[in-house]
Order: sequence, then C-alpha cells, then structure tokens
Amino acid sequence: MNRVIKIDYLSRIEGESGVYIEIKDDSINVEMRVFEAPRFFESFLKGRPFQDAIDFTARICGICPVAYQMSSVHAIERIFGIQVDKPIRDLRRLMYCAEWISSHSLNVYMLHGPDFYGLESAWAGKEYLPILKKGLSFKRLGDEILTIIGGRAIHPVHIKVGGFFRAIDLNHLKGLIPSLQRAYEDSLKEIKWVSTLRFQRGYNEKVYVSLRHDEYPMNYGSVISNKGLNVSMEGFLGMIEERQMVYSTALHSKIKKDGDLQPYLLGPLARLNNNYMCLPDEIRDVIAASGINIPISGMDKGIIARVIEIAYALYESIKLIKGLDDINVLSKEVQLCSGSATWITEAPRGMLIHHYELDDTGKILNCRIIPPTSQNLAAMEMDIRHLVELNKNLDKTRLKGLISSLIRSFDPCISCSVHLLN
Amino acid sequence: MKRPRIGVFKFTSCDGCQLTILNMEEEFLELIDIIDISYFKEAIDRPLRGIFDISIVEGSITTNRQKEEIADIRERSRSLITIGACATSGGLQALRNWASLTSYKEYIYPAPDLVDALSTSTPVSDHIHVDYELWGCPVNREALSETIKSFLMGKKPTLPRYSLCMECKRKGIPCLLVSSSDPCLGPITKAGCGAICMIFGRACYGCFGPKDDANIESLMRWFKDLGFTQRDCIQLLDKMNSYAYRKVRLEQGH
Repeated sequence: MNRVIKIDYLSRIEGESGVYIEIKDDSINVEMRVFEAPRFFESFLKGRPFQDAIDFTARICGICPVAYQMSSVHAIERIFGIQVDKPIRDLRRLMYCAEWISSHSLNVYMLHGPDFYGLESAWAGKEYLPILKKGLSFKRLGDEILTIIGGRAIHPVHIKVGGFFRAIDLNHLKGLIPSLQRAYEDSLKEIKWVSTLRFQRGYNEKVYVSLRHDEYPMNYGSVISNKGLNVSMEGFLGMIEERQMVYSTALHSKIKKDGDLQPYLLGPLARLNNNYMCLPDEIRDVIAASGINIPISGMDKGIIARVIEIAYALYESIKLIKGLDDINVLSKEVQLCSGSATWITEAPRGMLIHHYELDDTGKILNCRIIPPTSQNLAAMEMDIRHLVELNKNLDKTRLKGLISSLIRSFDPCISCSVHLLN
Repeated sequence: MKRPRIGVFKFTSCDGCQLTILNMEEEFLELIDIIDISYFKEAIDRPLRGIFDISIVEGSITTNRQKEEIADIRERSRSLITIGACATSGGLQALRNWASLTSYKEYIYPAPDLVDALSTSTPVSDHIHVDYELWGCPVNREALSETIKSFLMGKKPTLPRYSLCMECKRKGIPCLLVSSSDPCLGPITKAGCGAICMIFGRACYGCFGPKDDANIESLMRWFKDLGFTQRDCIQLLDKMNSYAYRKVRLEQGH
C-alpha cells in the first residue's frame, strides 16, 4: 500500500521548503520541495561594477553573508592577479571564523538542538535555557568580531577587492581575547555534551567533498573528497552537473562520474572528516576523550562536527588576533583587466562556488553562483530515503519528527539555494 | 495578564532581518518572558493559527501566492510592522522591476515556465496597510528592539527620519563627498546605521533608503559634476532600496 508523508513547511531551518515522501512497496520517493521565491541575483549582477558582486551577493543570505563576500572577492582578485598580504589574509580568515561561530551556534543551539530534547523551540523548556544561553554567548562573540572588522554582523560593509576599506581598530579586537579564551574553554566542554546526544542508527556511505589546504580550509585550497578526488577549484566546477527539478526552485547538483551522476555532501561533516589532521592537538584530544570516532559516520551527526568547528574557530580566532600587528596599508592597488575566474571558499554549510567574467572596465559580463545547500540537496534526499526505509513502521507524527530533525542536521540554507545558473 | 501574541513572517528575503530578532540575545531572552512568540517558522515548530497583536514581516512580495498570504496575515494582525529593505522597499530583487522577467528567468532556469514569479518585487505596503516600516539592509538591532518595545507599550517608535549626514557629522567624520569626491548617498539616505561605512572611509551605498524629502536630483547633479555619467548615477541608486529611491525621484518629476 502506498503511504504519503508530507511536511508542507519545515520549521527551524533557514528559508521556505517542505518535503514530500511517497512510500511504495518496492521504493521510496523523496522530494525536497523548495518553494522559496527566486531572486535572480545572477541576472541583475550583469552589467554592474565588480564591487557590487561583494555587496549584492552578501544579500543572498543573512546567516552567511561573509561567505558570499569571500568567494566573490577572491574570484575577482584572481581575475586582476591580486595576491593579498598576510594581514589581509588573516583578517579575512578571522571574519570567516566569526561567521562559522555565529552560524554554527544558531544551528546547534537554536534550530537543531531542541530536537534532542523534544522541544518546539529553544525557549520552550526550562531545562534547555542554560544550553540556549551558552549558545547565545558563542554567537555574540562571533557577531562582535564581525562588527569590529566589518561594521555589523549581518552584511558587513568593509570588504573590498584588494583588501579592506580602512585599517581596523586592533585594540578593540585584542580586548576580546579574554572572552574568547573563556568561550574556547567552554566550547571544549560542549564537545563532550554533543557526544552524549542520541542519534539515529543507520548510515549511508557518502562522498564527502571539501577544500584542503595546509591549514583547516576556509579561503584557499584544492577540492578533495574521501574517495580520492583532488582537483583545482575550476576543475571541480567542470565536474558537476546541475539539474532543475519540477518540484523545486533550487537546482540540484551532482558529480559526473563514469557517465553516472553522484550525490555528494559538503559542510562541517565533510570538512572535518577530510581535514581532521589540521586540527590542533588539544582539540583532537578532547574529541578522542569524548569517544567520537573520526571519520564521523552516521546520517544526522552534522551537529557534532559543528560543535567541534565552533571550538576550532574560537581557537583560531584567538591565534589570529594575537598575531595581528599594527596594520597601516590594508588594500592593494587594483589594475583593471578583463577575464574570468572561479573561486570556492568554505561557507559554514560547505563549499560556495562563485564564477565571474568581467570586461576591461570591471563590469560583470556573466556570473555563476552555486551555494552549498543546493549541492547538498541530492545527498539529503538520499539520507531521508534511508531514514524512512529504516523507520517505515513508525506512526506518521514520529516519522515526521525524525525526518525534520534529520533535515535540520544538514543545516540547510534555503534562501541561498535558490540562486543558480545552469 | 495575557501575554501579547507576536508573529514573525518571511516573504522574499535573505532572513537577515528576522535573524536580527534572535541576535537581540539577552534582550531576546527577557522579551520571551513577557510576550508569546506564537508564530516564527525559523525558530519554532508551530502552525499558523489565530490573531496576532503584533506581526513582524520580512521580505518583499514577488509571487501570486505571497499576495494572498500577506492579505491573510493583515487580517490576523492588530498591528503590522515591516522590517528591512525587502519588506519596506522591494529589496535588491526589485531590480527586476526595471528589466524583463523572462530574460531573468531564462538566464537561470533551463525550464523557466516552471518558476512562479511576478514581474515585480514590491514592498508590503503596496499590497496592504502597514502600521510601521523599519528600514535598513539589514535593520539595526537597537532600532528593532526599540520598535518592538514601543508597539508593546502602544506607542509609535521615535526613530530618526533625518539624513545620515547628521549621524556622520555628530561622529565627527570628515565628509567623503567633499574631501575625497566619493559618491556618497548620505545626504539623501535615512540615518540609522551608525555611519558604519563612513567610519571605514567608505561612501554610503543606501542600506536605509531615502530620508524624508530627499532631494535626489540635487545630489545627482553633484555626482555628475564629479564626472559620473547618468548611468553611473542610476546604478548608485539601484541597490537594496532601488524601488524607494526611484519612486521619490519620479514623485519629484525626474
């Protein structure tokens, strides 16, 4: 007998989407129905000056604007042949750390965390309030770093091609070190906490894709996978195929392999599994002491990787801020030229691909933006199918609860996903 | 006393403004003690039900479905506040208003007919009555807090409607328009951001939309004297609040 499970509007995730599942005798059909209205960013960027790519694409997502600014600024700097100096590099990495802290805390403590306590929201139960407060304290630090460097946490105003608009207040940043230190110590305890949560059984073998670099990857690196992939950023763009689904305003992407199309997973789980060796010993020790095995396997364990990355981002922020000395010149001269380039950075939710083509006056001729969530949709559908298969005898309400929780474990960013080009 | 029911709604947008509600952090924790956040899809797993004392709306209207939804929300709301550039002025996506929707769709989707989208992105106030509009891309956290608290107390918020230049002058920042000939939208833009761009030596790019009685044409003449073409000038206005700046300009007969 056919059974239909339908969630019209998923709560506690960013953006507007639902899920439609049809359970038949011999198969399970899963559709992530993204109904977020499209905004056509790539279309209105055509003909605009290159700085607009940085300011405009940030507006694709209020949760990860820095990611958009980073992918676009690096792509455009590549066209102009600009390589920024260490202070600019470090400040940009610091902004990324801050965004990971803020964005991950939002998912872990406000959106997904309540699932493990059977709550409708992060403030629905007294026992959860201390956990929420902890999360907010991390989030505030991430927001504060962004406010000092970028003027505000959402849609910072300070990044430009070649560097930054003006040197920032170092004393202000250095003043954050004691709070960051305390938060870092707290975050290590959170790794223990997250390891005690109850997860779903079952596991789907997956292709984990992330950047790899000589440090834990954010702004630089080549694209690798746990299945032996190792290509340049452009190389990766050539390997994926995007398809439009009738039920979604987000396109789905898959890796082309031997005439086949393969789903793949981006984000904290993939990043951590692929780059565990880049973490400092003190964090690796806590991970081991908490009984977490790397690679982390399991469908809904993104939250573990997110908590570990919060700890790492705090650790790295302290290191970066301590290393910053008096900075005077914070921008490189820009020499306009025509050309095109691809750049990928590690957004909180995984690799965010930007590609731009500029004319010789610096105007955008074409652009292509492939956000992580749309790349993850195929893998998400695969895992939902697996979860339903394992639990198809459960009643509707419980099954819906499990499905919603699994979807939140991917931390999808639906507003992002609706801006693609084929 | 019954706690007032608050609803938070999203239309076409980036989520940044509703995220600002959660970014109120400690203040937010105090607020949830005295109000009942009855609907907030991004934060609570609860269906849409009943009447709201205050509805907070993010996002612009860009599909037929949204036109019906916003009318329904208005019917359920004693007061309705819009937050952010999308809800108050159509947002960046209103740039489609000056282009062909078909070409926009075809550029992105292989099967454009499957995509439901109006040819325009419009502010909520073009569709229903709005009690208060909070500007900004994104809205300022303190202003949002002031707005919510004011409505809870049954009064209108007292936020500045004068130009950003006032805020900039008060901070003692040298005028970028005069000193470095940067095309700054400060003179025609609402205060409220804290002059964060000028502190960084960057010209205003209009996150907070046109101030009351903005004399846009005069500023455009200034830009032209600095060597900017007509097209450059339009592009400077055509950002997050494009629809609002263009409307003021048309009303002034340009």
